Amino acid sequence: MNPNIVETINVAREVAWLPWAVQYLFLIGLSYGAWLLSLPGVVFRRPGWAGISRLALLGALVCGLAAPVALLADLHQPGRFWHFYAYFTPTSWMSWGAFFIPVYLGGLLIYAWLAFRPELARHAQSGGKLAGMAGVLAYGGHESRGALKAAALLAFIGAALVALYTGAEVAVVQARPLWNTPLLPLQFFVTAFAGAVGLVLLFNRYSVRDEAANRRLAGVLAATQAVALAVGALWLALGVSGISPVHARALAEVGPSANWQLSALWAVAATVLTLVLAWKRPGSGLLIGLLALHSAWMMRWSIFIGGQEVPKTGAGYYTYSLPLGPEGLMGIVGTAGLWVFLFVLITTLLPLDRLAAGADDNAAA
Amino acid sequence: MNKASQNLQGAAPVSVARRNFLRGVPVVTAAAVLAPAPAIASTGKQQWAMLIDVRKCIGCQACTVSCIQENAVPEGSFRTVVSTYSVKLTDSTQPAGTYVLPRLCNHCDNPPCIPVCPVSATYKREDGIVAVDGDRCVGCAYCVQACPYDARFINHDTGKADKCTFCAHRVDAGLLPACVETCVGGARIFGDINNSEGEFARLLKDAQPQLKVLKPELETAPRVFYIGLDERFTGKVEGQGTLWKPRSLPHA
Repeated sequence: MNPNIVETINVAREVAWLPWAVQYLFLIGLSYGAWLLSLPGVVFRRPGWAGISRLALLGALVCGLAAPVALLADLHQPGRFWHFYAYFTPTSWMSWGAFFIPVYLGGLLIYAWLAFRPELARHAQSGGKLAGMAGVLAYGGHESRGALKAAALLAFIGAALVALYTGAEVAVVQARPLWNTPLLPLQFFVTAFAGAVGLVLLFNRYSVRDEAANRRLAGVLAATQAVALAVGALWLALGVSGISPVHARALAEVGPSANWQLSALWAVAATVLTLVLAWKRPGSGLLIGLLALHSAWMMRWSIFIGGQEVPKTGAGYYTYSLPLGPEGLMGIVGTAGLWVFLFVLITTLLPLDRLAAGADDNAAA
Repeated sequence: MNKASQNLQGAAPVSVARRNFLRGVPVVTAAAVLAPAPAIASTGKQQWAMLIDVRKCIGCQACTVSCIQENAVPEGSFRTVVSTYSVKLTDSTQPAGTYVLPRLCNHCDNPPCIPVCPVSATYKREDGIVAVDGDRCVGCAYCVQACPYDARFINHDTGKADKCTFCAHRVDAGLLPACVETCVGGARIFGDINNSEGEFARLLKDAQPQLKVLKPELETAPRVFYIGLDERFTGKVEGQGTLWKPRSLPHA
């Protein structure tokens, strides 16, 4: 900071992408990350992965269905969402995203239905809650491997496109140096995947507490944290050395801020702690799961909300305080509420314990 | 046709000369009454631009207020403002001086806000003005993020992207932008850069050696030009931030 210049009058531009957007990126990231975790057990039938993958698919469903609602709420004219489809603009990543989301969600829903049909039929036969609905949804309860693989391909294309556009949409904004780095999409992806592992760890902890699955997931989580640290170190090295001007600009923008230094320290400490715990104490599934979810959310909050606290022309930084209404806290709480509702609804039809346990038998059947 | 619209129709080098003369007379209010603003335009295909002579700006914020009045800008939001800085002086007995910098949408010729708009609601008019189609805008705020000049915001009364339009509704009616009309020091000059014979082009040409734009490294080709723009203020200002800044009220 130059002490010789003091800004006496200027405008503070308020945050225009609200906490809803953080929730969207968090949930859609968890969804595509969890969907990837569903592949080993559901599609490839890798031994020991069946329970993990089915819990992951549940997570992908719940997060994937809640995410677009948060995105819609972030629009200041939500009733005009159809304009995205009426006025396609190929130069805008957001415009492409409006088409990628239905591809992913469509693929995910078909894939999940095909994967869970036998389970839905089983629930209908058991006569549990909403058994009638489960019976209707099961539609015979047959397993169709060919269709499942085709749906997996569609969902894969959608997931890849969603991961690409959510990163690129932010990374192309030249006006915000903190966002305008080619590593940002990769950082979004790695933290999203790690968060998804954390979510499945929690599902496992609160269902069958399968220790083998817990250890397996802890191993994957440790690997994601190592990658996250490596990418972070690369980001810092590119910025400090000046090899990459965009990274140097990003670092220069936030480096002098004490708040940002604290955020960076927090992020590194949380990642290292998760890595060490996942590696040395793989049994601490609940803690490392929560840590991974926290890191995925904090990363998005810091980048999104923190990034908008940096004035583009004015001196210093804007200060953001979370409003308590729909444009702030209620947006976060509301999205969480929707997530809980969807979780309760889906796990009523597909009980968590049943998804996690006996899964290997089903896969082998 | 009123005086300003005559000016916009390019009626008169004579009136321009008269204004220039009057501006030289140290009776500012009298000059303002007789010749409200330095409007210079052509009759051909216009490309509107603004020239801001920072040396003449007195930081009175009359432009800020007139813009709010003219465009019904919600409380706490601004389409234009005069950023004001206290700068330590090294070559004076005074400890510090005041530096003022009028800011507004730069109506870039290569505007970063246009390609990102997912519904093509923001566009460049034939006369160079960057505008927002309020009937199409979804209020996604992607353009707000993409603007490197912090010139855009979400209008909480309309739920749409908002910004300076060079008072397009006034320009279309042959009037000057409100901020130009009310500029006390005559620091804001509005005109057509396509009219090579016009006064505006002549002023730009005369000022060429000291003509600057904000953030030239981004190659946005702004249509707002500055005379007397200190290098330290062309980009993000390195200095101490304001302790208090106006904020818009939370929307219902």
